[in-house]
Amino acid sequence: MEDDSRLSLVAELISDHVSLEGLDRYLEETGVQSSDFLPIEPSEFEGEIFAVDGSNSTICGWSTARVNLIRAGYAVYRGAAWRRTVITFDDLLLADPRQCSNLFDPYLREFFGLSGVSFKESDLDRLSSYYRELQEYVAINDALAGARPGDIILYDGSFEVFELLRGVIATIFSRAEKKGVALLAVAKSSSLFWGEEISLPFVQHTGMAGSQLLPKAAWYLSLKDKKVDAGQGKWNGQTYIVRFCEQSEHAFRVDAPSFLQEEMATVLGKLACYSCSAECLGYPHALFRAHRDIRITEEEGAAIRQKLMGKLLENGMSHAEIRMLMGDFHDILEMRSGF
Amino acid sequence: MSREKRVKKKVAPTDEGRAAPEREGLLKRKVIEMGETTYKIVSRSVTEYHFTIPFNLDDDERVEVGQIFSIKDGGLTFLARVLNIEHSSNYDGHWDTTIKGTNFFDSDQIFNRVIAEPLGCINKSSEFKKSRTLPTKFAPVVRAETEQFKFLSQVMGDIEIGYLRNGSRLVEEIPVALHSEAMDHHMGVFATTGMGKSNFMKVFAASCMRLSARGESKFGLLIVDPHGEYLKGKSSSKSTIKGLTHLKRYREGLACYSTSKQNASDPGVEELAISENEILPEDIALLYEWSPPQRDALDAISRVLDPQSWLEEIQLPEGMARMLQEGFKDSTINVLIRRIKNELGKNPYIRKRSSLGNILANLQKGKVVLVDIPRMSDRSELFLLSVISRYILDEYKKEEHEGDESRKNCLITIEEAQRVLGAGSNTARFESIAREGRKFGVGLCAITQQPKLIDKQLLSQFNTLVVMGLGDRNDRIQLEESAKQDLSSMDTEIQTLEPGEAVISTLKIPFSVPVRIHRYEDYLRRLDKEDKQESLITRGGFKPFLD
Repeated sequence: MEDDSRLSLVAELISDHVSLEGLDRYLEETGVQSSDFLPIEPSEFEGEIFAVDGSNSTICGWSTARVNLIRAGYAVYRGAAWRRTVITFDDLLLADPRQCSNLFDPYLREFFGLSGVSFKESDLDRLSSYYRELQEYVAINDALAGARPGDIILYDGSFEVFELLRGVIATIFSRAEKKGVALLAVAKSSSLFWGEEISLPFVQHTGMAGSQLLPKAAWYLSLKDKKVDAGQGKWNGQTYIVRFCEQSEHAFRVDAPSFLQEEMATVLGKLACYSCSAECLGYPHALFRAHRDIRITEEEGAAIRQKLMGKLLENGMSHAEIRMLMGDFHDILEMRSGF
Repeated sequence: MSREKRVKKKVAPTDEGRAAPEREGLLKRKVIEMGETTYKIVSRSVTEYHFTIPFNLDDDERVEVGQIFSIKDGGLTFLARVLNIEHSSNYDGHWDTTIKGTNFFDSDQIFNRVIAEPLGCINKSSEFKKSRTLPTKFAPVVRAETEQFKFLSQVMGDIEIGYLRNGSRLVEEIPVALHSEAMDHHMGVFATTGMGKSNFMKVFAASCMRLSARGESKFGLLIVDPHGEYLKGKSSSKSTIKGLTHLKRYREGLACYSTSKQNASDPGVEELAISENEILPEDIALLYEWSPPQRDALDAISRVLDPQSWLEEIQLPEGMARMLQEGFKDSTINVLIRRIKNELGKNPYIRKRSSLGNILANLQKGKVVLVDIPRMSDRSELFLLSVISRYILDEYKKEEHEGDESRKNCLITIEEAQRVLGAGSNTARFESIAREGRKFGVGLCAITQQPKLIDKQLLSQFNTLVVMGLGDRNDRIQLEESAKQDLSSMDTEIQTLEPGEAVISTLKIPFSVPVRIHRYEDYLRRLDKEDKQESLITRGGFKPFLD
C-alpha cells in the first residue's frame, strides 16, 4: 500500500471521525448542555477503595473448544497506600460450549443464589469472556464482603453486561446498597457514539468539550436524557462521563447503580483525590494497580503453555497431535519457529 | 470411566454427584500484602544472584557494595557479596523520565536491584564450600551476621591485621589474620598514597613481633625503611604516629639496624654496617644506566679482580692496569671508578665490619628485622636492598642444601616495588626471588602504588594480595589479570575503599575478604595490655579506630 493519495484520503476520514470542530454541533446533536458539566471537588476520605479486574489469556484451542487461563481479583487501597491484592480466581478453563452449565452454574448458585444460565448458539464464541466476567463479579462479591459502609468498589468495565448475567449485577447492586458501599464501573474504552451521518466517538469528544468548558477542574457529566445510547434502563443505573483529574486529558465512561445518583458528586470527589498518581495520572490509581497485579503477561501465558505441552506428552500425545492442537497456522505462514 | 464422564469431571470438578460446593472450595483466595516484595532472590544464575531491596531505605539500612548477605534455603546458607546496586522497577520503558508530577502511590513497585557474587554456601555441618547450585527463586535474603561468618574464624591464619568488614560495618567478632605459611608465596600490598600502606605494614610487623616473642613465629620479616617512620614513628603538632619500637611488650621480636648514628645510639638499635667484600659488581650495576662497554667492564670485574677485594682493588693503579690489559678503555674504567667512589662516599655504612650475618640470624630466628635508612637516596636504598637480599637468598640457598630445618623462612619487604619488579627493570635479583625464592623459603612483600608497572608474570607469583584502594583503572586491571583469585568482580568495591579498608585475597581463606585494618596506635595499646599467653584472635569487642 504505497498510494500516498489513498493515505491522505484515509487521514481525512479519520480527522472527520476524531476531530471535534467547535462545540455547537456536539451540544446540539447529543443534547448535552454546557451546564451539564459539573465540577468535582476532590476530597480525602478514610475509607478503602477496592478495584476489581480480570484477565484472560488463550493457552491453546482447536475448532470446537479452547483452553484459557483466567484470573480475577482486586486491589485494596486506603488513601494512596496499597494495602493488599486479593486473587479470587486463577485457573485454566476448558471452554467447551457443550459444558456451559457445568462451568457457570456452581458459581451462580453459590455466590448469587441464581439458577443456571441458558446460552444461545451465538453466545458460545465468547464463552471464556463471559466466564472471566463471571469471575470478576465473584471478585466484586468478595470485595463487598470485606468492604465497610462508605467504602468504594471500582470495577474495570461497564455494567451494561451480557444479558444472562444481568441477574448477577442486580444481586451485587442490592448487596452494595444494603451495605452502604459505593459501586462504580470505570471503562477505559467505550463504544458510545454520537452523530447522525458518521459514528463519532462520544467519550473522547465529551472529554474535549469538557476540557474547553471546565479547563481547570475535574468534572462529570450525566448521560440521563442525552441522545446517546448507553444501555440506559437495562441495568438499573446511570452512565456518566468523568474526568477524574484536571491535569489529565482523559475522560472515562463511569456506570453507577441508581441508588448512588444522589451521592455521585461526593463519591467522585473521593475518587478524584486518588486519581492523580504519577504512575497513571487521571485514572483511579487502585484500578491501575489492579490491572498490573492481575494481568496475565505474555510470558506467563507462554510458560503455562509449555507446562501444558509437557503434561500432554506425559499423557501419551504425540508431537504431531500437540502441534495440531497448539500450533497456529499463521506461525507456519510467518515461518516462525515453533516447538 | 467413559470419555464423557471423564470430560465432565475435568471441566467442572465441582459438578453434580457431590454436595453443593463449600464457598472455600470454589473461592481460592490468595492475598498478597505489603512487605513481601523485597529481600528475595529473583534471579539469575549460579555465578550471579539478583535480589531486590526497597529503593528508599533509611541511611542505616542502606545496602553497600562489598556487603555480604546470606540466603537461607533449606539446609544451606548461601553467602553473597554485593557487587553493584541498580535502580529498578516493575514498570517498563522510560516511565521515570516521562511521569507527570511526583505523586507516587506505589513505592513497592520501585526498588533497587542488588547484584551479588556468590561466595559459597555453608551446610548443616557448618562447612563452607563453593556453591555449585543457586538458591531457590524467592528465597529470603538477609544481611549476614556474626553467626554466618563464624566459619571464617576457622580458616583464618596467625598474623592478625584487622577485622572483617561487611560493607562499612565492622564485624569485630571475626578478626582477619593471614597465614604465616602463605608468606613465602609472596605478598603484594597495593594502595595509592594515604590509603594506609604504612599503617598496614606496621600492624603486620607488630603481629609478627608478637608471634616471634611468643616463640610462634614461622618466618622472619625484613623491612627496609627509607622514610624513617617504622623505627620510632613520627611526631607532629597534630598527631603522634608510633613506631615498631613502641611495642614494648613484644620488643624482643624486633631487631633494629640504622644508618643514622642518632637512631643507632638508642638501646636495642645497632648501627648498620655492610662490609666492602659483601658488595658485588652486580650491586653497583643496578645503580646507574650503563653503556654497553661499561656493562662489559662491570661483568668482567669478577673475573679479572679478586671477588673479595675488587672494590678496593679497582681504585688502585694495579687494578686499573689489569682492567686496561683486558682491553677496556681507560675512560670506561674511570667512569666505573668515579661512580663507585661516589657510592662509597654517600654510603658511610660500607665498612670493614658487617651486620649482614646478624640480620640473617635474626631473620632465621623468625624476628622482624627493621633496617632504618632515613634520608637515604632512592638509588642508595636500592643498592642496599640489593646487597642484603642477595646475601639472604644466597645464604638460604646454601642452607637449603645443608638441610637446616630449624631456620625460619623469610619475607623481604620492598617499598615502591615497581622500581625493581617492573617490566624491563635491570634488577634481576628481585625477579629471581619472586620466581624461585619460594623454593628456598624466601618470599617477597612488594609494596607499590602502581601495580600496573609491575611485570604481569611476576605479579602472578603473588599469592597474597592486600588491595587498599586503587583509583587508577589500569592498576586494577593489572591486578585482576594477574591475581590467582578472581578479583574482577570486585572492581567497584576496590574503587570505593576508604583509607584503612582493604580487600585481601590469600591462600587458605576461601574468598577475597573485606577488612578494616587495625589502626596501628590502637592495636599497639591492645597488644601492650594483653596477656602474653592470650590467644589474640579469639578476642572480640576491641574498637580498632578511636575518634
